[in-house]
Amino acid sequence: MIAVSNLYKNIGHVQALKDVSFDAADGQITGLLGPNGAGKTTCLRTIFGLLTPDSGAATINGIDVALHPVAAKRELGLFPDPFGVYERLTPREYIQYFAELSGMPKQTAASATSQVIADLQLSEIADRRCKGFSQGQRMKTALAQAIVHRPKNIILDEPTSGLDVMSTRLLRDILRQLRDQGHCILFSSHVMQEVASLCDRVVVMANGKIKAVGSPSQLCRQTDKDSLEEAFISLIGSDEGIAA
Amino acid sequence: MNTFLSLLRKELIDAIRDKRSVMAGLYYAIFTPILISGLFMVMIDKLSSIEDFQLTIVNAEQAPDLIAHLNRQGISHSDDSAERLAIKLIIGSEYSRQMTRAEPADVILRADTSTDGVMTSVRRIQRALQQYSEEMSGIRLIARGINPQVVRPINLQLQNQATVESKGGVFIGMMVLLILLAVFIAGMNLAIDTSAGERERHSLALLLSHPIGLRELVMAKVCAVSTFGMAGLIAAVSVSKIIYPMVPWQKLGFSIDIGLPFILAAVLISVPVAALAASMQLYVSFMAKSFKEAQTYITFVMFIPVTLSYTVTLDIATEQLRWAPVTGQLQALIDLMKDQATPLLPLVSSCLATFAICVVLVLGMERLLKSEKIIFGL
Repeated sequence: MIAVSNLYKNIGHVQALKDVSFDAADGQITGLLGPNGAGKTTCLRTIFGLLTPDSGAATINGIDVALHPVAAKRELGLFPDPFGVYERLTPREYIQYFAELSGMPKQTAASATSQVIADLQLSEIADRRCKGFSQGQRMKTALAQAIVHRPKNIILDEPTSGLDVMSTRLLRDILRQLRDQGHCILFSSHVMQEVASLCDRVVVMANGKIKAVGSPSQLCRQTDKDSLEEAFISLIGSDEGIAA
Repeated sequence: MNTFLSLLRKELIDAIRDKRSVMAGLYYAIFTPILISGLFMVMIDKLSSIEDFQLTIVNAEQAPDLIAHLNRQGISHSDDSAERLAIKLIIGSEYSRQMTRAEPADVILRADTSTDGVMTSVRRIQRALQQYSEEMSGIRLIARGINPQVVRPINLQLQNQATVESKGGVFIGMMVLLILLAVFIAGMNLAIDTSAGERERHSLALLLSHPIGLRELVMAKVCAVSTFGMAGLIAAVSVSKIIYPMVPWQKLGFSIDIGLPFILAAVLISVPVAALAASMQLYVSFMAKSFKEAQTYITFVMFIPVTLSYTVTLDIATEQLRWAPVTGQLQALIDLMKDQATPLLPLVSSCLATFAICVVLVLGMERLLKSEKIIFGL
């Protein structure tokens, strides 16, 4: 369960977040949809504690991120954007490293790493150094790191950008599986198709503000449109910065 | 503790696989002693062998005895302008007459002392002439029935107490300095890579989003960079042990022996210096916005210990600097190498001061890593 309430954040002279409140429930995939520059990344960074809000709070499983960062982060798996892989480590070393940092004992981390490598079909590259990997291979490695310790909450920032069709499908399957296991998944995207096909709930964001919250069908009903795309355009008033 | 070990292990694996970091450390550690040895060999050769030289002597026929004296000292006339120095010794045309009358005989020495190497030769000629002059006055006094001792009111006796090791003071100081500086240089690349580099590769934000304490993270990085610094020091001291004895120090009247006690002491005493080097380098690299900027800052950081250390080598404020970080450890090592006793209290206080600065820097880095500007390099 991830909840943010009344977040305000200025970055320089730009008001990046204006009174942002929403929550993402367990057993659901929540999509943060908005055009480029809407404040999605800023909002997510506030949730995982890298940015301090000017006011308002973010909680993970009820733990305030600003007050108890370590405890809150224990409940979290993260796929940031941009993400970095260590080029001189192999995916196996990389994934296990972050599993240990998430609090897993070494042995457990090693077996969890093997499991996630199998789940994400990474075995072929698991013991090669990351230098020279394709965008898709890097992406999967970073994703494995986010879910290896089976966190209750998973945040993904633009997880599909740069992925090919097969990898995107694989990612979707994994996210659905995790949802069915009761995980809370929050991801940001500016790709309409992805959000429409995957999300149980959509949070529409533009100019640092929440424009609407609801399931894709609710949003369509609310705006009296047939497709999420049309609904979205009528909600934010333009289709600038959005990919179909 | 487990998290710290995971962090440290990863930092070290990552660093050892980075050929650039490893080579940067090793190049210095291995090649500096070799280079310096070569340099000293040439210098010693120049200092210890007194070479004969030629110059132009005018009116030599006026003073055959003086010329013979100069020749015995390796100073002679040459007509070949290629092999003689640009120094002219002109014997006055009245020399012979003046000598017989016991009047001061004119000898003119003409040279441009701003030319490289001329000054040393001029001094040698002066010394030779002085000697000749004293001999002559002695003979003249005896001829007049006077004991030459009367013109020697002072009997100066120089008693050189320099031991074999202390004679080479400057050389030893420099050698120890070069060994100690390995600590600063060997970890430098890693320090940049693991801080500014980590941010530039976008892995810093991911790392900080994990449930780890900032202190563990900073300490792991400081330990990793210090380990590299220490590895550099051990390499430098080992190479020095092999290479330096090959230099013919005995020509200068001393010997250099890097024994096991010195190596052990060097390793032990350098630990605080390595920790200081690592935390300083990491601190400035975290502050830098990019890898390139970090490289610039780190060069400035290097200035501090290098300047301090040179101050010691050049014997400025030596006693006060025994209490200071880096210079305290440097002086203790120099004492050890010279087989002299080193005062313990200043060394201990210098080590404590060094660690205190490390603590301040670690706390400073924790502060930095809470700043959004630093994390995202804004």
